[in-house]
Amino acid sequence: MNRRSLVSAGAVVLGAAVLSANIAGQAPASAAKAAPAAKAPAAKAYTPPKTPDGQPDLQGFWTNSTYVPFERPQGVTKEFYTPDEAEAAIKAAAAREAEQTEPGTAADVHYDFSQFGLDRSQSKFSYNLRTSLVVDPPDGKVPPVNAQGQKRAAERAAARKLAGGPYDSVQNMAIGSRCIIMGGSGPPMMNAGYNANYQIVQSPGYVMILTEMIHDVRVIPLDNRSQPPQDIRQWVGLSRGRWEGNTLVVETTNFNGKNAFRGASETLKVTERFTRVADDVIDYKFTIEDPATWDRAWTADAPLARTEGPIFEFACHETNYGIANILAGARAEDKQKAERAKKGSN
Amino acid sequence: MMRSRLLTRVTVVAFVAWVAVAMTLVTAQTPGYKAPRAPDGKPNLNGIWQAINTANWDIEAHSAAPGPVLELGAAGAVPGGLGVVEGGPLPYRPEALTKRNENRANRLKLDPEVKCYLPGVPRATYMGFPFQIIQSQKHVMLVHEYAGAVRTVYMTDQVEAPADSWMGWSNGRWEGESLVVDTKGFNDLSWFDRSGNFHSDALHVVERFTARSADTLIYEVTVEDPKVFSRPWKMSMPLYRRVEPNAQILEFRCVEFVEDLIYGHLRKQPSQ
Amino acid sequence: MRAKLVVVAACAGVLLAVGQARAHHAFAAEFDVTKPVTLKGSLVKWEMVNPHSWFHVAVKEPDGTVTEWLIEGGSPNQLIRMGVTKNTVAIGTELTIEGYRAKDGGLKAVGRNFVLADGSRLFLGGSAPGATGGDKK
Repeated sequence: MNRRSLVSAGAVVLGAAVLSANIAGQAPASAAKAAPAAKAPAAKAYTPPKTPDGQPDLQGFWTNSTYVPFERPQGVTKEFYTPDEAEAAIKAAAAREAEQTEPGTAADVHYDFSQFGLDRSQSKFSYNLRTSLVVDPPDGKVPPVNAQGQKRAAERAAARKLAGGPYDSVQNMAIGSRCIIMGGSGPPMMNAGYNANYQIVQSPGYVMILTEMIHDVRVIPLDNRSQPPQDIRQWVGLSRGRWEGNTLVVETTNFNGKNAFRGASETLKVTERFTRVADDVIDYKFTIEDPATWDRAWTADAPLARTEGPIFEFACHETNYGIANILAGARAEDKQKAERAKKGSN
Repeated sequence: MMRSRLLTRVTVVAFVAWVAVAMTLVTAQTPGYKAPRAPDGKPNLNGIWQAINTANWDIEAHSAAPGPVLELGAAGAVPGGLGVVEGGPLPYRPEALTKRNENRANRLKLDPEVKCYLPGVPRATYMGFPFQIIQSQKHVMLVHEYAGAVRTVYMTDQVEAPADSWMGWSNGRWEGESLVVDTKGFNDLSWFDRSGNFHSDALHVVERFTARSADTLIYEVTVEDPKVFSRPWKMSMPLYRRVEPNAQILEFRCVEFVEDLIYGHLRKQPSQ
Repeated sequence: MRAKLVVVAACAGVLLAVGQARAHHAFAAEFDVTKPVTLKGSLVKWEMVNPHSWFHVAVKEPDGTVTEWLIEGGSPNQLIRMGVTKNTVAIGTELTIEGYRAKDGGLKAVGRNFVLADGSRLFLGGSAPGATGGDKK
């Protein structure tokens, strides 16, 4: 099992028509010229196949693993890299991932990801020339948090401080460590870092999205049902979907506020747009609205690339031995500290 | 005249014979009911379904009984049930029966449901929470409200289970009007109910989902586990469609509900 | 080879973007960076579970006694996609594991590198630590 070369085996390269579709509508002509693969005529739109009940077909296994950073890096001002620049950026990121950790450092206290195929370069990833997933605002950065949002962030930080040390109790630990929910579920669906895979299955009136970690399923109804009652709050919110042409538009509200997406409040609204733009690509855009946190809506474009299944069961809580180990270790350290303190005061 | 009387007699005889056959089915079925077709021509089993019985308390016949938590009183007590296992008590091997009884005596500590662990198969079907069937040509998904459990039934590209899991590895096929799901690759950690009925990692489950009427299915299960049972056994029950216009699977993300139960003893105490 | 961890989704307290290097605090809380171990033993069982898999390894102590260690490894899910099954690693396979011992003092460790008797790595990556560059392309 050799490590495959980054771009040819690991990447899913957008088709020429797709590149031009992505770039032509948005980028200045220089970007289109600089990308040799984008020479195909821009007008050739892709028609997705249909499911037996006539929905555009989004089905299959997809990944949002990518080397494109969420926000535009410091010092980068343009929207698109050239293919050479993109490859160089990917190679640099992969090299950083593959760097040796120093024995005896905290970073070394972990299994080597690459042995288990969990680094990005060893599985399919979504490749595009963007310099950031955030596409609006045009500077590629999330807008600043407003005063209300900052106040809430401060309150949350104060509450965390009151709760004590990070390992005083399981409730003080990260939500993902506790196996409650992970970032790939969303919405919006963020790159989980590894096992960043999804399975989409459609039936009449529904689109189902299974997120690998933690076997999380969103079943999105397409029947124009009424708005969900305000009293029902969920980690993944409540979603309603509809087709606009070949684009699945999913609106989600009713978040419970416990897993605040980038500091958002319970009034967060996420609008996702799924469009199959090639056999191997679903264009996935999401718009974030929360006037209690940001003074303007903002949007990211994070295409999904077709990948291989299967998605093996990610049962997490059931075999989450690490929690007990961590808490027991912390209590052992507390005990040692207390004994040292006692000795010191004698 | 003669001919029509003969025909009538033949018809009556045939009808009586049919009724005799029909009576051997577990529950009366609308004769020859065929579900509407899904867009790909297969029986349409899509929908949100739920069992209405006490199988999750105990799959064998059982009387009403007090529950294991005193403070819950009648609210936590066990309702009686006629049982969903066909043909009497479960055919445990002698040493396995001992283990079942130990499980039962310690069910508060040992029942994986109490810890919000994945429920396994077929328990997930009759847990008293709804589940949704989402049917496509390549995959039939069973999406459960309880703990967000989910099963992928592979209708094509079928392989053996690569490793053991809580919900098993399912390969499916259509046999006439029935969806037949063949599942192996279980770990030995789930139970069949709250009464300690259990299995090993040799568990092999074959389920049949057949439409019985517009809003009901017949669910039949054959269970085989030579490490635990001396022979295969069968259970069956109806499944009822959730017909409310806005019916949907909600979250029952129960990990939070059990963290203090599982990890509370490792919490830092104020004196430390 | 000690590839550096770039993203640890499971331990992110906040939903962070990929690409931000972040120390894996929870692991350094579970295992003791001051207690490195090198264990040589044979595989008793590989629990192919999530969020992290666990190797049960029979380790022969210097005095001849055998203890069973529990060693933490990665999620098996990507390996399964690459064709690994529960039959891939035979019981009895000789392993050398470098890692760090659990803080709670038990016979547990996180396995940094899992190496077979012939010096190759258990699953992926070709050469054992010490070889320069390995087969990365």
